[in-house]
Amino acid sequence: MLLLCLRLPLQAAQPPLTPNSTGYVGSNACKTCHADVWSNFYKNPHYKSIALGAESPEKTGCESCHGPAKAHVEARGGKTTIPRAFSLMPAGQALNTCLACHEKSISRAQIRRSSHTQADVACNSCHSIHKPAVAKSLLAKQQTNLCYGCHNSARSQFAMPHKHRVNEGAVQCIDCHNPHGSPAAAWRSGLRPRMVETTMDGEQPCLRCHTDKRGPFVFEHAAIRVEGCETCHAPHGSMNPRMLRRPAVFTLCLECHNGASGFGLSRDGIPLQTSSHNVNDPRYRNCVTCHVRIHGSNSDPRFLR
Amino acid sequence: MAIHLRTPALLMAVSAALLAQPTVAPTGEPVGRARGEDWNGYNVTNSFELGARYHTVNGNEAAYRSDVNFGNGLRLLGSTLSLNSKEGRGGLFDEILLNTQGLGNDPYQFSSLRIQHNRWYRYDMNWRVNDFVNPGLNFLPSAHTQNTRRMWQDHDVTLLPAFPFQFLAGYSRNSQEGVGLYTQNLFDQHRGDEFPLFANINRRQREFRLGTQVQYRKLKLILLRGWQRYEEDSPLSLAAGAGLNAADNTTLTSFRLTSPYSGDTPFWRANLFGEAGRWLAVNARFSYAGTRRDFASEEAAIGTSRLGAATNRQFFAGGTGTRPVTNANFTISLFPADAVTITNHTAFHQIQMDGNATLTQVQNGFTGANILNFRHLGIRSMVNTTDALLRPAKWLGLRAGYQFSTRRIRSVEAETVGTFSDRLDYEQTNRVHAGLLGVRLQPVKPLTFNFDLEMGRADRPFLTLSERNYNAFGARAQYKQGSLLLSAAVRTNYNTNSVSLFSHSSHSRNYALDASWTPRRWFAFDAGYGKQHLDTLTGIAYFASGQFLDTQNSLYVSNVHSGHAMARFSVAGRVDLSFGYSRVQDTGDGRAALALSTNRAFPDVQVLPLAFDSPQARVSIRLHQQIRLNFGYQYYRYAEDFSALRDYRAHTGFTSVLWSF
Repeated sequence: MLLLCLRLPLQAAQPPLTPNSTGYVGSNACKTCHADVWSNFYKNPHYKSIALGAESPEKTGCESCHGPAKAHVEARGGKTTIPRAFSLMPAGQALNTCLACHEKSISRAQIRRSSHTQADVACNSCHSIHKPAVAKSLLAKQQTNLCYGCHNSARSQFAMPHKHRVNEGAVQCIDCHNPHGSPAAAWRSGLRPRMVETTMDGEQPCLRCHTDKRGPFVFEHAAIRVEGCETCHAPHGSMNPRMLRRPAVFTLCLECHNGASGFGLSRDGIPLQTSSHNVNDPRYRNCVTCHVRIHGSNSDPRFLR
Repeated sequence: MAIHLRTPALLMAVSAALLAQPTVAPTGEPVGRARGEDWNGYNVTNSFELGARYHTVNGNEAAYRSDVNFGNGLRLLGSTLSLNSKEGRGGLFDEILLNTQGLGNDPYQFSSLRIQHNRWYRYDMNWRVNDFVNPGLNFLPSAHTQNTRRMWQDHDVTLLPAFPFQFLAGYSRNSQEGVGLYTQNLFDQHRGDEFPLFANINRRQREFRLGTQVQYRKLKLILLRGWQRYEEDSPLSLAAGAGLNAADNTTLTSFRLTSPYSGDTPFWRANLFGEAGRWLAVNARFSYAGTRRDFASEEAAIGTSRLGAATNRQFFAGGTGTRPVTNANFTISLFPADAVTITNHTAFHQIQMDGNATLTQVQNGFTGANILNFRHLGIRSMVNTTDALLRPAKWLGLRAGYQFSTRRIRSVEAETVGTFSDRLDYEQTNRVHAGLLGVRLQPVKPLTFNFDLEMGRADRPFLTLSERNYNAFGARAQYKQGSLLLSAAVRTNYNTNSVSLFSHSSHSRNYALDASWTPRRWFAFDAGYGKQHLDTLTGIAYFASGQFLDTQNSLYVSNVHSGHAMARFSVAGRVDLSFGYSRVQDTGDGRAALALSTNRAFPDVQVLPLAFDSPQARVSIRLHQQIRLNFGYQYYRYAEDFSALRDYRAHTGFTSVLWSF
């Protein structure tokens, strides 16, 4: 079977750069006028289709994306004579053109339902095939700048004092987000978030780096498992230490641990603190001083050790 | 030709350098003409920025190290190297691509490497280091600190990337090492004392992957088998004799805690893609991971109790946790017409966390009863989403979606103490209905408007803060003409989660305005302003001085104003100057002083007004077509309105030489 699979591309080892009867003229014709594009095209991942020579003319070189160029050549140029000129295409058509080859990958499996596709942010909004600023993935700009271009509020959040180090280069947006769309999140029940990159097991991306928080623990903090880390933390950045959602720890805890009926595992209310706690004493205002294993414990149901 | 290539490359580099609120280094300025040297059938480009950073800090240095953390000394601020075979048929490789940042001394270091042969293999590597200081919280007592180094690395190999049958292999490693201070309450859980303890943090996870990818006509199957190994052993030992509770007489003279924790996660992952004609695409994905981790804990503490009596305590725990996760989803996309896409997505996720623990405590020679614990937490969710996208005209796009999700949560809490057993079983189901509407308008080519609205209703939210009756509205306008980009955005999220005796509401409103303009090769400008408002009001209950208070609310108000501006000038094509300023300020609810209420343990309105700003400037001088000399300065100021404990001011700078061809 392996030999059979290998046989197919090995048979055609020469690039089909010559004209044929279907309107394809071959990439050699393109480089006559578009020398500026052609001169660096060997650095482009799409050049493989020419170098390997394994594909049919409609999947090789310039015409694989732009379509058969016979009419364009005969008209001696002009954008309107290019069957697929991306600068003239609607976003949906640009997407379909790229997905003709690129759809079958894990990272793009949900691209049809992604927020970007729905807002007509097509492939060429972020990728520059001929003039990429970043060679890997052919990005039009450095990745963080691409995202900031539209996601203004994210830029503000990453400028806060307590944040993931995106501006410093330690973390990238794509560590936690998939710009091509993601499956439904397992830790939230609404339509959002759509673009958060789940782990392959469908869990929140925080656990990929913060492996010590994943467990299993004998005594799990159910809030984390059911509603996710965002219950307590602001993942982009926060004005509060440790990227917490409140400046004081005890109010963060007490907003859930208030005994209100109808919530929690038992639906009888999330347990209240005991009467031995005196919140008037500052000692009791930083709950994690004693509840040190707040993300889960193997030794104490109250996360004390 | 070189002149034609240089202009867009320069503009791109300029705009890339301006759009972010970057750190002042690495430089990112272009050097000279279009780059690249031909060598032995390959084109080689290289860029190498070597420099030194320096800094001084006034104020809380631990806070500076937590927020910024640039130190002194020499480092490779950034580098890139690329080799590309000119014909796409190289000998051992067709492409090598290497990028690095901060190697040698920066707290944030990364490198990525790709080596590939178009026909035979592709190798990708990512390596990152993050040195991080966690100074603890700025509320007393604040003894939890960490000074650790996290390191991540991923290696992936694809064999036969140009063939329909490919082999995949990978290795990842994630580690955290360093020192920390923790606290532990000893001898009396409520009236005792909390002692600072020294921790030697040591956590690591390794993952191995093997797989294959097969494509046959319009079907593609990816199969992956992997194994994860997690190990943690961060022993705690005594850091100080005195506890944090000055009012308590408990002392600790000896302490040791060892808690090794390790386990394996073997996993399977499968993906299937398929197409039928031009009207249907499907994707099915399945994964299963079965985690098992074992733990043991041994603690020995010797000291005196709060009454002054000699006390010792030993504690033993051991057991196992398991965590099988099953995840599957199926997506079908239909294209009944060119302008219509309908997608249906169904997702299933099940996670079951089971844990067994045996706990034994010996206090002052008296052995307590063995406590056997069993815990189970199972979460199973099913989600079905349908989205329709309609583009009736080039200037108009419409979208609508509906999602139904159901989540079952089961838990078991079982405990056996001696001969006494207790078991509590709970089960609940939460359902959410959510709908989405969106419109995209493009009245003229440079101008785009986007609007979207999501509304959702949950029948039984799990937490008091969870979404129950919520709506999220977003609008965005963007004008893009040539090098001018103007954008404005607003997003609101409102949620009300109230039942008969409890209420919670949250309102967040974000506004943003941005402009970016590169009118000339020698000038570029970028500026933006954003406001993020959040207010949450939640009913709380607590004990204070022996009194139970259950009629109060926790009100948190945050109004964050953020702004940034950056300008870059190029003088005579030889000197580049850039100036930038970034400021983030939380004004809270506008009050000038923290006012504690007389009958509450906390303020009527929780706020943390502060300002964090950072001006920067950089000079980059082209000495030669391939060499630049760079200088930069960046100032950081963190200032809280109500307390100066965490405040700092830092001057940072760098000098570097950039060589590239």
